[in-house]
Amino acid sequence: MAPPEEAGGGDQFPVGMKVLVVDDDQTCLAVLKRMLIQCRYDATTCSQATRALAMLRENRGAFDVIISDVHMPDMNGFRLLELVGLEMDLPVIMMSADSRTDLVMKGIKHGACDYLIKPVRMEELKNIWQHVVRKKFGGNKEHEHSGSLDDTDRNRPTNNDNEYASSANDGAEDSWKSQKKKRDKEEDDSELESGDPSNNSKKPRVVWSVELHQQFVNAVNHLGIDKAVPKKILELMNVPGLTRENVASHLQKFRLYLKRIAQHHAGMGNPYGVPASSAQVASLGGLDFQALAASGQIPPQALAALQDELLGRPTNNLVLPGRDQSSLRLAAVKGNKPHGEQIAFGQPIYKVQNNSYAALPQNSPAVGRMPSFSAWPNNKLGMADSMSALGNVNNSQNSNIGLHELQQQPDTMLSGTLHTLDVKPSGIVMPSQSLNTFPASEGLSPNQNPLIVPSQSSGYLTGIPPSMKPELVLPTSQSSNNLLGGIDLINQASTSQPFISSHGGNLSGLMNRNSNVIPSQGISNFQTGNTPYLVNQNSMGMGSKPPGVLKTESTDSLNQSYGYVNHMDSGLLSSQSKNAQFGFLQSPNDVTGGWSSLQNMDCFRNTVGPSQPVSSSSSFHSSNAALGKLPDQGRGKNLGFVGKGTCIPNRFAVDEIESPTNSLSHSIGSSGDIPDMFGFSGQM
Amino acid sequence: MDYSNLRRQITFMKKSFFDQGYLDEQFHQLEELQDESSPNFVEEVVVLFLKDSPRLLSNIEQTIGKYPQDFYRLDSLVHQLKGSGSSIGAVRMKNECSVFKAHCNDRNLEGCRRSLQKMKREHATLKQKLESYFQLLRQVGPREHAVNSRN
Repeated sequence: MAPPEEAGGGDQFPVGMKVLVVDDDQTCLAVLKRMLIQCRYDATTCSQATRALAMLRENRGAFDVIISDVHMPDMNGFRLLELVGLEMDLPVIMMSADSRTDLVMKGIKHGACDYLIKPVRMEELKNIWQHVVRKKFGGNKEHEHSGSLDDTDRNRPTNNDNEYASSANDGAEDSWKSQKKKRDKEEDDSELESGDPSNNSKKPRVVWSVELHQQFVNAVNHLGIDKAVPKKILELMNVPGLTRENVASHLQKFRLYLKRIAQHHAGMGNPYGVPASSAQVASLGGLDFQALAASGQIPPQALAALQDELLGRPTNNLVLPGRDQSSLRLAAVKGNKPHGEQIAFGQPIYKVQNNSYAALPQNSPAVGRMPSFSAWPNNKLGMADSMSALGNVNNSQNSNIGLHELQQQPDTMLSGTLHTLDVKPSGIVMPSQSLNTFPASEGLSPNQNPLIVPSQSSGYLTGIPPSMKPELVLPTSQSSNNLLGGIDLINQASTSQPFISSHGGNLSGLMNRNSNVIPSQGISNFQTGNTPYLVNQNSMGMGSKPPGVLKTESTDSLNQSYGYVNHMDSGLLSSQSKNAQFGFLQSPNDVTGGWSSLQNMDCFRNTVGPSQPVSSSSSFHSSNAALGKLPDQGRGKNLGFVGKGTCIPNRFAVDEIESPTNSLSHSIGSSGDIPDMFGFSGQM
Repeated sequence: MDYSNLRRQITFMKKSFFDQGYLDEQFHQLEELQDESSPNFVEEVVVLFLKDSPRLLSNIEQTIGKYPQDFYRLDSLVHQLKGSGSSIGAVRMKNECSVFKAHCNDRNLEGCRRSLQKMKREHATLKQKLESYFQLLRQVGPREHAVNSRN
């Protein structure tokens, strides 16, 4: 990553950082200028906003950061902020004597990097250089500059990797991880080279639809995960309009997903319900969600919504709109490892393997092949995890698919899965440990949870192509694939709506309740429509829905959320975590649909890299992570799979894995334990 | 000249500013910003403020007198004064500005008028005190000045 020097234009950054201060008050200008000089910055003052704008337009590179007052006679500070942000993409710090929250909020919404209250203190000014660095390195993934941006992005996954590493005892994992890191590096380089320099977070996002993701997965499979580089993948995919950057970022997420699956599987002992090492399992759960999300089955938002619904937790919004946030959130949720950003990105989960489901209780006929969940020990929604993986739609890509799948068979899934899970009413079906089981979601007793998030997501789901043929991933029978089993179901039910994505607003399920969701740049894309989704903490809204409700709504909500998700796609894509959130939004009807996605996820994993030790669980694992890692306690939550029946909210997934008791309780609705990565208080 | 006496006076005076709430921590920050490269920084800033604020005050007065009342504009002007005052640590003025703004919010013209009168008085007092203070400082000379600033 390029050292900050690059940002500052000097080896001694932040010394010499060029600051432009705009304020009509001469006294303030004088004080600020003096302070900035004391901080060893290069300060220029300007008392008129119009003149400042002219100066900036003349020479964008003349300044690194702008500090502007809010109240100015010739131009509103917010307006200046907008213009500078749009035209020059420079960090702007707002300043005012007025500390009212609504004003500060307005500043943030307009894109201010920071908001200082007058009188400004030296300490505050000393730190402003970080905004410059952040903007330069964090906002621009494909910045041509030293890969710092990429590094930033990659760092997060890398960090996650590290975390995984710590929890995963698998040596193979490490090697895989290092492989991944290496690859990431390569990717970084290559991306840098061919990346669009001018690209920055404002690039339109690609919606990774089910088909697209399948194509992607196919390409990756064809090349071999080790050799899959964005350029080649792009060529193989041969999709007009798709850029290398799109592929690269998708690949990154995908790798994370795989990693998670691997880790999860490694860590997961008992797929069903035994919350294997919490971290792993949890991640698995999350992974599932993610996987789903990743597979594009479930639009992140939908998943989030589902989760919300399922979990019935308003606060935890798993859905992380921004990738940063989401990832963080997921991590949080997972509890164990802060996966950072993404949640398993998934590969098409739709290839669910039946075998994995074997463990799943077959209670529900609807589930079809879903193994009955009853096998699950503690409600850990093992499936949930997987589901969550499904749900994890890291980036809308997967979620779309997942959701769709889930949608297909919402009812069946739900019924089948739900009951086995001890999911508590909250509906957060967090499959306990092994994500791989899709069954986890099954575990979710339909009545209990509201996995399905209903709300308005119906639109969302509709977007998903009905049949998510799991071609991409051949489900390999892996025990760990339990999730896959679930996914399989999804496959079958191509028409089901596995995920019930809570409507945008509810998508929040995925979102952290806390504001993690704050729409960041990345998120802003989809924020627009979905603001509630992103930020909603409560939108999870789920709590309020009775278990059964989901079902009915799910379809609807799924659709909506689906649509919603799509809308947000841009945002979602960018942030992995977001997807995770969605994990599972399943329509209550068809659990299978959801399941399949999970399976796919797992399967995919297998397909992609036989060498990789990842087991399906790992993917799920990661999905959980993506979901925002439900905290150990609240495993269930990570399912992120909120489908009705099929979807296991991320929350579940994660939680389940982590601690059986916790997860369930969490998923079901205990809100206490699970740290709310997703904003779930554990209440389903 | 009895510098020690002067210095004592200066110190005492400054302390009273803080004790009586005329100035706050921000003033200390200003003093810290003063150094060899900018030896009269505090005074310069205060002078700026004292030069700018009467203009603002008279604008406020004019706006209050206008009919129909433009509370929005009033609020905006008072806000500016508040920002200015807070930059030098003029806490009493800053507080009075807050009160004034609240009156504007309530569209309480009478309250605004009262606030304005108060602000004018505060301003006059502050101006007088600070000017004496800097006068004393000048008397002790630049070297002492620097020393005093650190007090």
